[in-house]
Amino acid sequence: MPAALPPFGFEDLFDNAPCGYLILGPDGRIEMVNSTLLGWVGRTREELIGKKVPELLNIAGRIFYETHFAPLLRMQGFLNEIALDLKSAEGKRLQVLVNAIERQDVDGQPVATYVVLLPASERRRYERDLVDARTKAEAGLLAEREVSEWREQFIAVLGHDLRNPLASITGAARMLLGEPLSEKGVRIVALMQGSVTRMAGLIDNVLDFARGRLGGGIGLVRDANAPLEPVLVQVVDELRAGALERKILAEYSLTEPVLCDRGRIGQLVSNLLGNALTHGAADEPVRLRAFTETGILEISVANGGVPIPEKVYPNLFQPFFRGEGHGSHQGLGLGLHIASEIAKAHDGEITVVSDQTETKFTFRMPTAAP
Amino acid sequence: MSIETRNNLNIRGSGDRAIIFAHGFGCDQNMWRLVSPAFEGDFQTILYDHVGAGGSDLSAYDPPKYSTLSGYADDLVEIGNMLDLNGAIFVGHSVSSMIGILASLKVPGMFGKLVLVGPSARYIDDVDYIGGFSQDDIDELLGSLADNHMGWSAAMAPVIMGNPGRPELGEELSNSFCRTDPKIAQEFARVTFTSDNRADLRHVTAPTLILQCREDIIAAENVGDFVRRNIQGSRLVLLDATGHCPNLSAPNEVIAAIRDFV
Repeated sequence: MPAALPPFGFEDLFDNAPCGYLILGPDGRIEMVNSTLLGWVGRTREELIGKKVPELLNIAGRIFYETHFAPLLRMQGFLNEIALDLKSAEGKRLQVLVNAIERQDVDGQPVATYVVLLPASERRRYERDLVDARTKAEAGLLAEREVSEWREQFIAVLGHDLRNPLASITGAARMLLGEPLSEKGVRIVALMQGSVTRMAGLIDNVLDFARGRLGGGIGLVRDANAPLEPVLVQVVDELRAGALERKILAEYSLTEPVLCDRGRIGQLVSNLLGNALTHGAADEPVRLRAFTETGILEISVANGGVPIPEKVYPNLFQPFFRGEGHGSHQGLGLGLHIASEIAKAHDGEITVVSDQTETKFTFRMPTAAP
Repeated sequence: MSIETRNNLNIRGSGDRAIIFAHGFGCDQNMWRLVSPAFEGDFQTILYDHVGAGGSDLSAYDPPKYSTLSGYADDLVEIGNMLDLNGAIFVGHSVSSMIGILASLKVPGMFGKLVLVGPSARYIDDVDYIGGFSQDDIDELLGSLADNHMGWSAAMAPVIMGNPGRPELGEELSNSFCRTDPKIAQEFARVTFTSDNRADLRHVTAPTLILQCREDIIAAENVGDFVRRNIQGSRLVLLDATGHCPNLSAPNEVIAAIRDFV
């Protein structure tokens, strides 16, 4: 004969709900427990009535219950989503999430506590995986940071060590020019000075690129008060000194103050001029034009020669991009990239137009902060 | 940063004598909310949070300093010095019993009397000593703390704020109830449950009252009795309260016992 089904309703819901139920007395002792929970922990009702919740927990859970669960429940009257481990009679663990609410009399004294327990083993595993993943990610980040600090230091030292001998060569070349020199000697010193200028520019570009890639970006020290023109004149003079046979025509009309990092703008112009000298036709002049007009600074550098093929336009400002030909005069392919980064840092941009007549790079930026 | 902010100092009441309450592991000064008001009529009451707990300044948490209970005791001494405490009454719950003892040894005279609620000089069993826990138990505890802070740190506050049954829990409290940075909580648990202050007890000279609960698995009766035997002249009162937090479960009994002693 089949066993009679229990009457469906609240009592059966309490006893056979798909979650564990406990009702605790005012002293925290178990007064009622449902069959679902008894099944989980493998205990009889008689064993649990009159006991306290820690009886069902592992030792860590007991400490947690006494130091967090019980006091918090008393203070705020409820608890949600507390993770605990139930210990069964056979010593097995069951991870559960626990909610509890304290029922109080009119004076706020606890009368009973209702506790609901839901199995949460899968969830706990998932959460622990997440915590593990986060711990790993944090460790990775820390290691990455160490490497990056080391690299930053390396770059600083490298920059210093590379620039020092260059400064000595510059000084020596200047001293040589004070000596009586043959015509050939003067030309050789000019070549040396040109190489030094180019080398200094390369070092700046490499260091800036490495720093930018490390997340430092192009640092700016903006100043609207000091004039920009002398800086540009000096850049042009340096490049002229290294390319005596080339003609650089410069035209300045800087009438408005420009809020910019003058050293950086000098570097930008030096890169554009260097690019024009390298890739432009040797028998045509390089034309620099720098002017301000209604809140805009515009500096253009133009050269003659073979136009840039349209298909490489999108790659011009990419790092390590190098045009065709000219073997030994090729740089690292960082000049235009750094120039465009400097432009961006100034809220400006560099555009290019290239045809049979000329190839012209134009830098535009607002003279004042936006 | 001021000590007031660092330790979320709350001074109330009026009276010639000061009584300072220190909370234990797991919560903050709210632990004393049912006890400290009873002393405001005739005492200056001082409540504070250990750095890392409740409304303390988490940025002040300096891992090396707080890797021992002595670091916490230094904070207590600083509070005492700032308030010019002399002969004050110290009431410490759980691990703060030992923090108070350490502070009283650093500056004799700052505390005239000590009240230790559920004290334990060592939680882990040792040769000829039963603290109640093994090292494995404590390691497991640290793991279970990690499990719980997942849900706590982010989700607890809004839930508490939406509790219509307890309107007295204002926004201020709801955001700080036993809240703590999970990493700090773990570290405080480690410091608490691996501490060994048995050798400090015999140096205590201040009159000391021990309040011992029944069925306290954190600090069982034998543990409280060890403290009593090792502090010369100390008294132990066995409360009717059960568990580890009589300041919440039986505040009136705790108040009466303290009153009787001071």
